Amino acid sequence: MNAPAQSTAGGASALLEVRDLRKYFPVRGGILNRAVGWVQAVDDIDLDVLPGEVLGIVGESGCGKSTTARLLMHLIRADAGRIVFDGNAVRADDAAGLRELRRQMQMVFQDSYSSLNPRLPIEDTIMFGPKVHGVSSAEARERARELFALVGLDPAQFIRRYPHELSGGQRQRVNIARALALEPRLLILDEAVSALDKSVEAQVLNLLLTLRRELGLTYIFISHDLNVVQYMSDRVLVMYLGKVVEIGPTAEIYQRMQHPYTEALLSAMPSMDPDRRTETPPLVGDPPNPIDPPPGCRFHTRCRFAEDVCRRAEPRLGPAAGEETADGPAAGADHLVACHMRVAASGHSLAPAG
Amino acid sequence: MTAPAVAEPVVRAEDVAVSFVGRDATVNAVNGVSFTLDPGEVLCILGESGSGKSVTLRALMRLLPFRRARLSGRIEIAGLDVMAMSDRALADLRGTEVGMIFQEPMVAFDPVYTVGRQITETIVRHEGVSQEQARRRALDLLDRVRIPSPERRLRAYPHELSGGMRQRAMIALALSCQPSLLLADEPTTALDATVQIQILLLLRELQREFGMAVIFVTHDVGVAVEIADRIAVMYGGRFVETGPVREIMRNPRHPYTQGLLASTVHSASRGQTLEAIPGSPPDMTRLPPGCAFAPRCRFAEPGCETPPAAIQLSPHHMVRCIRAT
Repeated sequence: MNAPAQSTAGGASALLEVRDLRKYFPVRGGILNRAVGWVQAVDDIDLDVLPGEVLGIVGESGCGKSTTARLLMHLIRADAGRIVFDGNAVRADDAAGLRELRRQMQMVFQDSYSSLNPRLPIEDTIMFGPKVHGVSSAEARERARELFALVGLDPAQFIRRYPHELSGGQRQRVNIARALALEPRLLILDEAVSALDKSVEAQVLNLLLTLRRELGLTYIFISHDLNVVQYMSDRVLVMYLGKVVEIGPTAEIYQRMQHPYTEALLSAMPSMDPDRRTETPPLVGDPPNPIDPPPGCRFHTRCRFAEDVCRRAEPRLGPAAGEETADGPAAGADHLVACHMRVAASGHSLAPAG
Repeated sequence: MTAPAVAEPVVRAEDVAVSFVGRDATVNAVNGVSFTLDPGEVLCILGESGSGKSVTLRALMRLLPFRRARLSGRIEIAGLDVMAMSDRALADLRGTEVGMIFQEPMVAFDPVYTVGRQITETIVRHEGVSQEQARRRALDLLDRVRIPSPERRLRAYPHELSGGMRQRAMIALALSCQPSLLLADEPTTALDATVQIQILLLLRELQREFGMAVIFVTHDVGVAVEIADRIAVMYGGRFVETGPVREIMRNPRHPYTQGLLASTVHSASRGQTLEAIPGSPPDMTRLPPGCAFAPRCRFAEPGCETPPAAIQLSPHHMVRCIRAT
């Protein structure tokens, strides 16, 4: 495609702009250890993150959401694609540029224990980043104390403790402090609250929203928990087998979803009302293997609307076509979907006429 | 399915306590749990990590490391005194009267034998039927748990199945001898959302069809609401509140239950600050003598320093909180 890809955020100027990002992992086998297949973990995805927003990324395991996060951080190298941060293109071979990028963009992982050095008091872990970036020890220590207070840990009580002396929720607060130590503008939160108990999860979510307000942060919030994503996000991106299937404002995605997979994912959420239990599962079977995924639309093997065109051609991400529906007008310009049913004259019997 | 002639409870547990004795400290994992479970009833034990929910489940089958664990109280399953049973009798009980499923099916299956061999072996071991009959039963079971092309899956090794398939196969294994009681320890927690709901609906359907009683341990309120008849909320090794699922969801009386429901994110909470419970779950080696929740409770008062008695709000709704009177 040579035409400039359109913005996935409805035209506003983005803090982070990603185009055609791709990562295939080889599956090796045989006596020569050659690649016998490819896991198409992230396959030509586009996304934009606006300054100050929370972009939620949802999808099932193997959909590529964590690989996307690691690609954005340049923890692994992309096979193809363009990443522009704050107007500057980021190149994988530009060490100084990467260093600057990692100062501006930080990540918090799911496992709060393995992301801290078990042999260092947590204060030293937090000072480490700033010192690497040229801040003096005294200043880094001062900053660590401020950060502890900021994430709700009493510095006098906590700074000399080791990671194993903290509870899961406290450790995750330390990880957030560590990520904030370089004063980044964008935080990538990869299942950052998923391992916490519900009562503690709520504390950490409240903290994240307070920090965002006070420090003017931008978040990419990755989770498999649709309730938490809805609570946190301004916009939501839905992934399936390495592809973006739908992206749009949170209310649009949750109330006027356009893609059959989004619909299935949302109706798979357990109901919180004992009188309105789920009666039929929205999908049958497991997600297919991401090694050599199905051709055409990757969801067609589980989609109840699948037709010939879905097996043949891959739908592109674009605004949903269609005129007024019973619920109001079709989706707005900031709501994009990759489904043949939403493309005029695509050949799908349920598509609007061209 | 015919209902059992007598309405004797399937499980009767009285004052069950479990502690793990270590060199440095003793972990008081379960501190006096009493309940009965009727035939065909689904009880969900809802609690956070370390609340003692899984240990309670294992204690019912005495599946605890016998060197370190101290188990006390009375446990009756299908009228049999579990505490007095020999190891041999226990092994017979597990698998015939009682089936178990776990979070991680790879642990339930032996990786070096095929799924089919393990299911048929169980049937032959407990029912003494021929290999051929057992194989036919295994095939039928895989069909019942909706595993596509069951013939082929019987010949598969556990690692060759996907996560959802393995969970289905483990359910088939647990049901192979038509138990009257199924013990389920977070069986859907490791699954994706679209697979989890399939497994929950399958379990609900099989429970009705087989008329089994089920004890289902979970940390997820949403899962409990989908499957439970009755919920027991566990905190600090005790049932702090038990009641029918509607009662617990609509009229929770224990401050912990109220806090847990309020801090669980749901679609209505966007834009509001979540009502988080302050602090973190208790250290089970140093439980306070009274109510274990008191240090985090905004209603705590001096009276909370003595262990709260079980208060029966109605025949089916129990709460352990002095404020409930």
